[in-house]
Amino acid sequence: MLKIANLHAYYGSIEALKGIDIEIAPGVVTCLIGSNGAGKTTLLKAISGMIRRTGSIVFDERNELIGESPTRIARRSIVHVPEGRHIFPGLSVEENLEVGTIAWHGFFGRKPYETEKRSVFDLFPRLEERRGQLGWSLSGGEQQMLAIGRALMARPKLLMLDEPSMGLAPVIVSDLFRKIVEINKLGIPILLVEQNARLALEISDFAYVLDQGRVRIEGKAKDLRTDPRVQEAYLGRFAGKTQPN
Amino acid sequence: MQGLNILLQPNVFMQLTINGVAMGMIYALMAMGLILLIRAIGVMNFAQGELLMLGAFITWGLTYQVKLPFVLMIPAAMLCFAFVGVVFMFVAYWPLRTASYPTATVISTMGAAMVIREIATITWGSLPLVSAPLVKGVVRVGSLRLQYQYLLTIAIGAVLIFLVFVLFEKLYAGRIMQAAAQDKYAAELLGIPTVLTTAATYIIVVTLASVGGYMIAPVFLVNVTLGTLQLRAFAGVVTGGFGSVKGAIVGSLFIGLVESYSSTFTTTYKDAVVFLVLIVVLLFRPQGLFGERVADKA
Ligand SMILES: Nc1ncnc2c1ncn2[C@@H]1O[C@H](COP(=O)(O)OP(=O)(O)O)[C@@H](O)[C@H]1O
Ligand SMILES: [Mg+2]
Repeated sequence: MLKIANLHAYYGSIEALKGIDIEIAPGVVTCLIGSNGAGKTTLLKAISGMIRRTGSIVFDERNELIGESPTRIARRSIVHVPEGRHIFPGLSVEENLEVGTIAWHGFFGRKPYETEKRSVFDLFPRLEERRGQLGWSLSGGEQQMLAIGRALMARPKLLMLDEPSMGLAPVIVSDLFRKIVEINKLGIPILLVEQNARLALEISDFAYVLDQGRVRIEGKAKDLRTDPRVQEAYLGRFAGKTQPN
Repeated sequence: MQGLNILLQPNVFMQLTINGVAMGMIYALMAMGLILLIRAIGVMNFAQGELLMLGAFITWGLTYQVKLPFVLMIPAAMLCFAFVGVVFMFVAYWPLRTASYPTATVISTMGAAMVIREIATITWGSLPLVSAPLVKGVVRVGSLRLQYQYLLTIAIGAVLIFLVFVLFEKLYAGRIMQAAAQDKYAAELLGIPTVLTTAATYIIVVTLASVGGYMIAPVFLVNVTLGTLQLRAFAGVVTGGFGSVKGAIVGSLFIGLVESYSSTFTTTYKDAVVFLVLIVVLLFRPQGLFGERVADKA
């Protein structure tokens, strides 16, 4: 559903992605792993139009995203949940969710979004309990739920998650990853960026390993879990054993 | 003290209160705009007084030069204010928004203030222009004589403030604007066109200040020096605790009242009195009358 070919991306004159080819299949979880600075976040930014890029990104086999603005790409229902959550601190949980609808709702529209809100609250009951609370006052885990919930309000056709586990306690992370699998079961394809490679490979169908702006390794997630190169570089020496992150 | 005796006469006191609240409303319209801009783009606008002055000139021009009747003058003025807002944004802010020195956008508002003053002087000359009050005359309540213009200023100011609150607190579009102001990056990822929300903010800010200029024109004369009123709006913002819209409104009303009451003591040193009070407030409450300390917000 998303086909990326020879993608280059630039911060000013610095080339952060150096020719990337990636294909995201419909309905599955695809993960991007790689060490800090590999270019994972940059790749998501390149897809959502937040950075200058060249090459080709074809969505749904007909729409070329290169040259399109972030607003336009968001209207295609490609939703990027950024690293660090970026929820709106001065808006309540409910208002944060409402803002998530903008891509299909329109500035002056009056379309209802109760159904979307209901399903987000069903997925994250915690958010319903906190519906009136301001964004800044939530815990890290709740903020991540809100960031994902806000993205679901946008009726995503592709959901991109950047480091959802960052800074969260292990129990909260495993809860969160169960929710991510649940979301995927609803038929929403997910592009998951994680530094926590073990966790990401567990719930993914397909995986890419990024390094210095290039794809180094790619394949089925279950193959990569046992790939010696991946084990050595990204899973630590005790691969196979459960290890707290 | 003789001044105090005069001030404490009930009639005088009431009248000064009405005048003070009316002036406070004008400052509040400017102060609110200051806060909205600080929130939306993180910039203190030093051309706020000049926007008020330009509003006074534009409405004067439409009324006395173009000779539009009132019902046409208002929509025409609104269009002009929107136009000024968009031009102001694209000239003084947009090209500098990615400048490596964040102060660049602040300095450019000072430049904009000079340009607006010059444009006004070239277009309308430097002699003060007379503008008739919207409704002439006075209301008598008992032995009290209140000018319609002041009462009208209070009413219109209150209505505008109410409308801005409805927009931001109740309407979907306002929520979107708040979101864009709080986190531009996240807003863009969700598909909010931040150019439009920023432009809308500028239009609102210019309209608020300009309506203030229109209301104040009959009280003072229409003159480039109207721009200096922005100091009162700054004082209002600071008194109110810098950062909250509600605080800025209450702070501005407070400044209006202080200024008005002080006129029984001195008219020459009115400015000095206002700032003396401001300093005293800050000495005892550095966070402003209504501000929370920064630590409370984190
Ligand atoms: N805003 C920026 N300006 C310049 N270089 C950047 C910026 N953001 C990231 N980079 C560089 O781009 C490369 C990829 O970064 P990033 O995509 O954030 O990595 P990852 O998300 O995999 O940790 C890094 O070398 C980083 O230093
Ligand atoms: Mg990253």
